[in-house]
Amino acid sequence: MRFCLKILPIKYITLSCIGDGAFAIEIGDDPPFSDIAGALYSYFSAQTSDREVKMDLNPIKDAFDRVAKKQKMSSSKTQEVVAQMIREIELSLEIIKAEHCGSEVDCKSVFGELKKKLQEIAPLSQFEGTQKELNIALSKYPKQLEKSFNPDISKAYRNIDFDAHTVNQIIAGHFYRQGLFDVGDCFINEANEPDSTAAMKSLFSEMYLVLEAMKNRNLEPALNWATANSTKLKEKGSDLLLKLHCLQFVEILQGGSRSKALSYVRTHISPFGANHFSEIQKLMACLLWSGKLHQSPYSDLLSPTNWNVVAEELTRQFCNLLGQSFDSPLSVTIAAGFQGLPPLLKFMTVMAGKKQEWQSMKQLPVPVELDREFQFHSIFVCPVSKEQSTDENPPMLMQCGHVLCKQSINKMSKNGSRTFKCPYCPSDIDSTQCRQLHL
Amino acid sequence: MEMDSLPNGNSTTTSTTAPSTAPPSKLTQLTESLKLEHQFLRVPFEHYKKTIRANLRAVEKEVSSVISAVNDYADSDISNDDAVQRLTSLVSRLQGLKRKMEEERRTENLQAERCRARIDHLESPDAENLTGWANMRLKRILVDYMLRMSYYDTGLKLAESSNMLSDITFLLRALMIWQIECQDLVDIDIYLEAKKVIDALQNMEIAPALAWCAENKSRLKKLKHTQIKLLLAETFATVASNSDPGVNILEFNLVKHAIIVNAHCSYGWQSKFEFQLRLQEYIELVRAENHMGAIAYARKYLAPWAAMHTKEMQQVFATVAFKGIPECSVYKAFFEPKQWDYLVEQFKQEFCRLYGMNPEPLLNIFLQAGLSSLKTPYCYEDDCTREDPLSQESFRKLAFPLPYSKQHHSKIVCYITKELMDAENPPQVLPNGYVYSTKALEEMAKRNDGKITCPRTSLVCNYSELVKAYIS
Repeated sequence: MRFCLKILPIKYITLSCIGDGAFAIEIGDDPPFSDIAGALYSYFSAQTSDREVKMDLNPIKDAFDRVAKKQKMSSSKTQEVVAQMIREIELSLEIIKAEHCGSEVDCKSVFGELKKKLQEIAPLSQFEGTQKELNIALSKYPKQLEKSFNPDISKAYRNIDFDAHTVNQIIAGHFYRQGLFDVGDCFINEANEPDSTAAMKSLFSEMYLVLEAMKNRNLEPALNWATANSTKLKEKGSDLLLKLHCLQFVEILQGGSRSKALSYVRTHISPFGANHFSEIQKLMACLLWSGKLHQSPYSDLLSPTNWNVVAEELTRQFCNLLGQSFDSPLSVTIAAGFQGLPPLLKFMTVMAGKKQEWQSMKQLPVPVELDREFQFHSIFVCPVSKEQSTDENPPMLMQCGHVLCKQSINKMSKNGSRTFKCPYCPSDIDSTQCRQLHL
Repeated sequence: MEMDSLPNGNSTTTSTTAPSTAPPSKLTQLTESLKLEHQFLRVPFEHYKKTIRANLRAVEKEVSSVISAVNDYADSDISNDDAVQRLTSLVSRLQGLKRKMEEERRTENLQAERCRARIDHLESPDAENLTGWANMRLKRILVDYMLRMSYYDTGLKLAESSNMLSDITFLLRALMIWQIECQDLVDIDIYLEAKKVIDALQNMEIAPALAWCAENKSRLKKLKHTQIKLLLAETFATVASNSDPGVNILEFNLVKHAIIVNAHCSYGWQSKFEFQLRLQEYIELVRAENHMGAIAYARKYLAPWAAMHTKEMQQVFATVAFKGIPECSVYKAFFEPKQWDYLVEQFKQEFCRLYGMNPEPLLNIFLQAGLSSLKTPYCYEDDCTREDPLSQESFRKLAFPLPYSKQHHSKIVCYITKELMDAENPPQVLPNGYVYSTKALEEMAKRNDGKITCPRTSLVCNYSELVKAYIS
């Protein structure tokens, strides 16, 4: 019973005092399967808390080395046996040839001798010995794989057919998005997708031209683009243009021309003076170290990582202005899939035989903890009812600063008829004083 | 600004913003996701194993035929000239075998190298190169998809394409390394084996498919055995879960019955692909109005299956009675060109099973898991952020039949900075109930002399009016 209390969401359990300090515990009206299963799962996964271990591939390597070793042995054995056979046959051949010029001997005895020799070599039984060991190694390796890996990752797969056209559109978009224009064109062609898919291509081709030029330390296309879009960039609060100018300035200075660098600052960088005074000061100080910047306190300006940082910022702003996400949506989804699938597979192992229910669930039975970078939306889960908030059941801020959902507050205050204790601190809560939160 | 003495309710409250179960660490997560790579190691190994076995068999065959030739000669009278000639030919045969073995050894070594390269590749990711590794992983998954969907050119191109961002001076070398690497990391040649059969089927040729069946006969049979074993285990499990600990006769019979049924099913299913190939060949004979040929063919190749596929057999035999292509829908179906597509599908399934590949493209499996873990009701709102893949129509369409994700803990993302809030950057509440992160609000206050403007309602208030919220 204590076990039930620990793992079941509170709403299914009723506690009632039956005197003498004893309590009756009831588990309320048939909690749905998914809730119980989810609760069981989180209970057990909490019990076997994962230690921080990097995957140990050594057993696999060892098993494979055994296969390779046995294979080498078997292969050199066969080579050796075949060579032996050749030697014997050649020997008999010489005998016959030698006897040929001399007396007329019947070669039957030579063949008989050869037959006996070959029987002594017994090639097939020689093979058998090494093959047996090889076979053992060959059958052990896949077993080791099955032990160390998840042999069936389609266990938590729903039998629904993705619309191939939609998937292909996503893939084509991804190729263009990643600058793989050739591959994208080839794919559209081969998969017979309409040319409209290529719209993404024109969007991103300019961006990759700019980035490619930056790889070659040519900032001109980048500067042109940033200047043309300077007002939009300013609205977004980005100082990309200044960063690009700074890179260009350092390049000129490294080129050894102090006067050129100075005039560059005057024409291009001084307009930023109002907001970026300290950065410009630093650049001006660099002028003193012209030619030996690497020895100066400002040597970090030379670091090639600056280029990568600016290139990333440019990509971000470019995508932003195009109305596209920074990361390819396909990359994001697949990366989320790699994080989300292991708990689902674990769940399916525990719940083997419930495949039917899995196919029709409206919500995943287990919580899937994704990394921060996959959190795009605020989600409020009431700590009392364990339910996610909705428009009808919004999160409410109590006077003490703790937050519960509206239904829980209504329940605990008996529909506002009395004050109650906050489940997290000793405060008395008046439900009329609670405020709705907008996350 | 008084940042420290904000009226934050009960000051004795300890912060409860920390989640009760810490999310799994990066390293653990990496380990878990590496465990999904079974196919990645299994497929090249199956290929390697197949080569080893085939080579061994070829050697055995040749050697035993040489031995039996010698035995024959020993028992018969041969002139000396003849003997010299025969022995010389035996020697050259064996020398040919030796040369062939050396060539095969090179292939075997290459395949072993590929298996090793893959293990090493799984060992290579760490915190620093994770992004690059994940990109490579996605490329692998896409190549798998291309090859399964028969987009071979794209698959090859993607595998061969050097990444565009690689340093120009190293481009050439990188390209070479990339090619070798990629060919080690994707199973192109295995799929090319499949392509031969598929192309032939699409050109309405059966022979390569039948040859493939014959070539892999023993392995296909072995698969059948494991399958029966699996079904057996499942049956036992079902019966066991429905019964009391004591086994009685009735249950025993039930199990026996289930085993027989399952064995039949799996046997029928197993040989079905070959049966269907034969059937199609027969249909083509009928289509060509070669009725005598068709009947002869049916006697020879279809009769052995009669017991198992009686109904289909009767229907298909009836087709001979018609002149030309029959009108009746049951019989007409046999003549549809769709039948060939169906054969291609069947072949792909058999092929995947043989090489230990997942029946579904990896892309679909991970798309499903990813979409489910990302899907929330908020994804379908108009102001969904662009960074969420589910803000896009195509992704929403794919996610439609999938379940929503489940959360056990609140996760509050700041509307302004889009960052996840936590104990270091806790949420603060404006007088109108709107919530933003402390970091965003502090910055706004700094810029505007302590004034806060709500970006969603345009309400203006002082920083001092904010209240901290404890959301667990």
